[in-house]
Amino acid sequence: MTVEDQVRDIVAKITRVDKSIITRQSTFKEIKADSLDVVQALVAVEETFGIEIPDEEAQKFQNFGDFVSYVESRVAQEEKV
Amino acid sequence: MSLDGKLALVTGSGRGIGRAIALKLASQGVDIIVNFFRHRDSAEQTAKDIESLGVKAEVIRANVGDPAKIDEMFDMISNKFGRLDILISNAASGVGRPVVDIDVKAWEWTMDINARALLLCAQRAAKLMEGRGGKIVSISSLGSRFVLPNYTVVGVSKAALEALTRYLAIELAPQNICVNTVAASAVETEALKFYFKEGLVKDNRQVTPAGRMVIPEDVANIVAFLCSEEAFMIRGQTIIVDGGTSVGLFALAGK
Ligand SMILES: NC(=O)c1ccc[n+]([C@@H]2O[C@H](COP(=O)([O-])OP(=O)(O)OC[C@H]3O[C@@H](n4cnc5c(N)ncnc54)[C@H](OP(=O)(O)O)[C@@H]3O)[C@@H](O)[C@H]2O)c1
Repeated sequence: MTVEDQVRDIVAKITRVDKSIITRQSTFKEIKADSLDVVQALVAVEETFGIEIPDEEAQKFQNFGDFVSYVESRVAQEEKV
Repeated sequence: MSLDGKLALVTGSGRGIGRAIALKLASQGVDIIVNFFRHRDSAEQTAKDIESLGVKAEVIRANVGDPAKIDEMFDMISNKFGRLDILISNAASGVGRPVVDIDVKAWEWTMDINARALLLCAQRAAKLMEGRGGKIVSISSLGSRFVLPNYTVVGVSKAALEALTRYLAIELAPQNICVNTVAASAVETEALKFYFKEGLVKDNRQVTPAGRMVIPEDVANIVAFLCSEEAFMIRGQTIIVDGGTSVGLFALAGK
């Protein structure tokens, strides 16, 4: 499973929306994610990939795609180390 | 009132009231373990500011709503220091919603971080205080006994925290551990500035007999006192720091 698929599964499970509606362009509002959903998704993604996503970075995510891109770049970094 | 050479864990001390408590204790010679959750930069900055007061600081990330993370944090403290003198349970989170919109997720999130964390941290801390005694202080709010709009879950979690404080105070007394809570009214922090802007909290100076808002240092001063030997006979109490607001029935008074 790609990073994107894994993140999508996590977000869909937390927000209880069908994962087929979550595209890279979807905003958190469109996915019906409130601030608690967002924090819980961040925590679940952190634990799945063994990374830390500081709030300062998370604040910058405009949509699901930004979130996925950030996780992808962090996972790639981890693999290099 | 020197606490020289003691070691304290302050949960959620990267910013806000926790940071003020950490700095106050540090200024009295206490080495500080700075716990944070989402804001590492703030925690690192607080640690630097603590070190500039001439004591040691250690930064630990842990979500105190997660029992496994609490265990990891205490395992680290146990391995690295093998002791703890002071536990300040300050970290809090919450979901502001009307009663009818509170779901299980919002309830559990808030209760786990605000109330259960005190229980789990106190259990682990008591072990590290064995044979040396210690102090446990948590931070509550007026919402535990008074109703504030959209504050239900947090208010309930704080009521649980205050009740738990009484039980801990009695059951840990034989181990020479003093347990108390400090409850504040609205405190001037970054979080509050946000609530002001959103119109969720009003400027409460008119209803504060002391004439100004409570600031984080007001809370920190009382916490430090409760950590001192002078406070030895205060057990299981909730000390209110609100400039007198809660003793007046301001809701009934005309403008
Ligand atoms: N401000 C007020 O008006 C007021 C009034 C009465 C009582 N209080 C109480 O005072 C305490 C501190 O409040 P504050 O206003 O300083 O809070 P704040 O500015 O909202 O900051 C919350 C603090 O708690 C930490 N935190 C949140 N969730 C956490 C978790 N799951 N695990 C570990 N740390 C976590 C945060 O760390 P990160 O930033 O790293 O996530 C941050 O340091 C709380 O218990 C609050 O209920 C506040």
